[in-house]
Amino acid sequence: MHFSQGVRMAWKSILSNKMRTLLTMLGIVIGVSSVITLVAMGRGSSAQVKEQMSSLGTNLLSVTITGRGAVTTLSVDEAEAFGTIDGVIGVSPVVSGNVSAKYATTNQNVAVEGVTASYETVREYAMQSGRFISSIDVEYLQKVAVLGSTTATDLFGTDDPVGQSVSLNGIRYKVVGLLAEKGSSLGGSNDEKILIPISAAQRLLQSKGVRSVYIQAESEEQLDLVQAYVENDLAKKFRETTTNGSSSSYRVFNQADLVDTVASVSSTLAVTLSGIACISLLVGGIGVMNIMLVSVTERTREIGIRKSVGAKRRDIMLQFLLEALVISGWSGAFGVGISYAIGPIVESATGTPILMSWDIILLSFAFSFSIGIIFGIFPASKASRLKPVDALRYD
Amino acid sequence: MNEEQHIGIELKDIVKSYRMGGEMVTTLRGISLHVYSGEFLAIVGPSGSGKSTLMNIIGCLDTPSSGSYTIDGQDTSRLSDNRLAEIRNHKIGFIFQSFHLLTQLTALENVELPLVYRGLSSRQRRERAVTALTRMGLQDRMHHKPKELSGGQQQRVAIARALAGNPTILLADEPTGALDTKTGREVLHIFDELHKAGHTIVLITHDPEVAERAESVVRITDGVLTEERRGRHALQSRRPDGLEEHSL
Repeated sequence: MHFSQGVRMAWKSILSNKMRTLLTMLGIVIGVSSVITLVAMGRGSSAQVKEQMSSLGTNLLSVTITGRGAVTTLSVDEAEAFGTIDGVIGVSPVVSGNVSAKYATTNQNVAVEGVTASYETVREYAMQSGRFISSIDVEYLQKVAVLGSTTATDLFGTDDPVGQSVSLNGIRYKVVGLLAEKGSSLGGSNDEKILIPISAAQRLLQSKGVRSVYIQAESEEQLDLVQAYVENDLAKKFRETTTNGSSSSYRVFNQADLVDTVASVSSTLAVTLSGIACISLLVGGIGVMNIMLVSVTERTREIGIRKSVGAKRRDIMLQFLLEALVISGWSGAFGVGISYAIGPIVESATGTPILMSWDIILLSFAFSFSIGIIFGIFPASKASRLKPVDALRYD
Repeated sequence: MNEEQHIGIELKDIVKSYRMGGEMVTTLRGISLHVYSGEFLAIVGPSGSGKSTLMNIIGCLDTPSSGSYTIDGQDTSRLSDNRLAEIRNHKIGFIFQSFHLLTQLTALENVELPLVYRGLSSRQRRERAVTALTRMGLQDRMHHKPKELSGGQQQRVAIARALAGNPTILLADEPTGALDTKTGREVLHIFDELHKAGHTIVLITHDPEVAERAESVVRITDGVLTEERRGRHALQSRRPDGLEEHSL
């Protein structure tokens, strides 16, 4: 018997029992489409998180000083000294505090960060308008300020803040630049702050010490080495033995580690979800087997007739296997189609981006096809083994 | 033995026994029978006599426990399932009491079925199936499903299916059993025609009237042949002697 003839025969027999076929297919359709959609959701959100995290700089170390005894901060020079470590391309010491900012009649409590010129490149900020704080500003204690986008809106509304003045704790600062929006990340909003020269901040906040330092390494690969040097330096400074790598006087965060952790959390979630979806696919497969077994019993006489006119065991086997394959193949195709149809709906409903990928579509299609083979073989071989005499006599 | 007549099928000492509820039941106890090419033979016997078992063995649907069965010079007793399927496909045309047509297929597709398993191209299949159906006078009903056909028409489709493969013998099991007398007579008339056209026919029945139509008649009782009347040729008169065959 020819293969194409077999497919046509399987198709005909499937069509002759539409309702049953539809219900059988439903299991696999739901399985395939949920595997594809869930994996796409997982991948989408994982990619989104990764992108957000890496926009913060994956080659960034952030050092936070909590201090020990009398020494609770680093001086600016001590912080800048990290720049001499091999592989470090930028150091940005930050003096931070809270001040009351006032423009016209708007009064607001705002976080102020005293920064150097390197802050812009180390933290990867872009300017929306104006300029960033320059080294000369730092050297001459210029009373200039750069605003985060949210703070600018809060204080100035729709007015252009660049060129205006803002009063911080009663001292007038000239706004020279406006940061582009960066969004929030772990550790709070990046847009709700006012940046001023570090020297001016030391005076404004009446604090000489640097409590946080951002260190930019040349590449992500060098980050671990740089981290080791930095920790070594800090350990000397605070005379602390860091036996287990943690210290109470300072903390060094590795941005790349953070990205990896978050990414692994989201991919674990994706794997778990698709695992659950795979179970539904498996259950769908058992449904196919169940229907095929019922169909073998129901069609015992048909098998007998086919055998009496010369169907071989192979022909009967092929017929039932093809039926299972046609069912699962079409179900797989429908499942792929449905997952494409519901993808945008899920995306707009949950806000999670959907990332369809060919490998997972092919994989789940192949999976549903092999379910057809695996769960079709048993009923098919049962059918093919029937003795023609017994099969013909069956009612 | 008629040497000039080519031997169609030959059964020698066929015994069939099987286990039924722990007991061995023997339904055929040494049957020997020749069916000549072109002969129209009726096997008669009451129900339970073993004629259905005999027909299953002749039709290669079942294998004998002992003895040999030769069709067209080929011994079937040691053949695999696959080879038996091929023999059914090429050499035997079945006509059943309850027609045994596939309900979801049209008459034409039913007739094509044996040719599908033979692996013929769809054009060849169609050609042959249309010829067979036309011969049965069903050229207008080819695309109907069995449900849309009368009993007589269904049996004619079944005969067309049996003929389409151009088999060595036509094996009919109570072909008129499910039909009313008038249609039954029509179907029997078809068998007469087929016999005249040179087909070898083995007909199994419990009805003596049906058996009367046949050229030769053998009677089976309790698994043995008890009576044998053999005719020589389809067009010659019947000879109720049965001398050329061993009878019991």
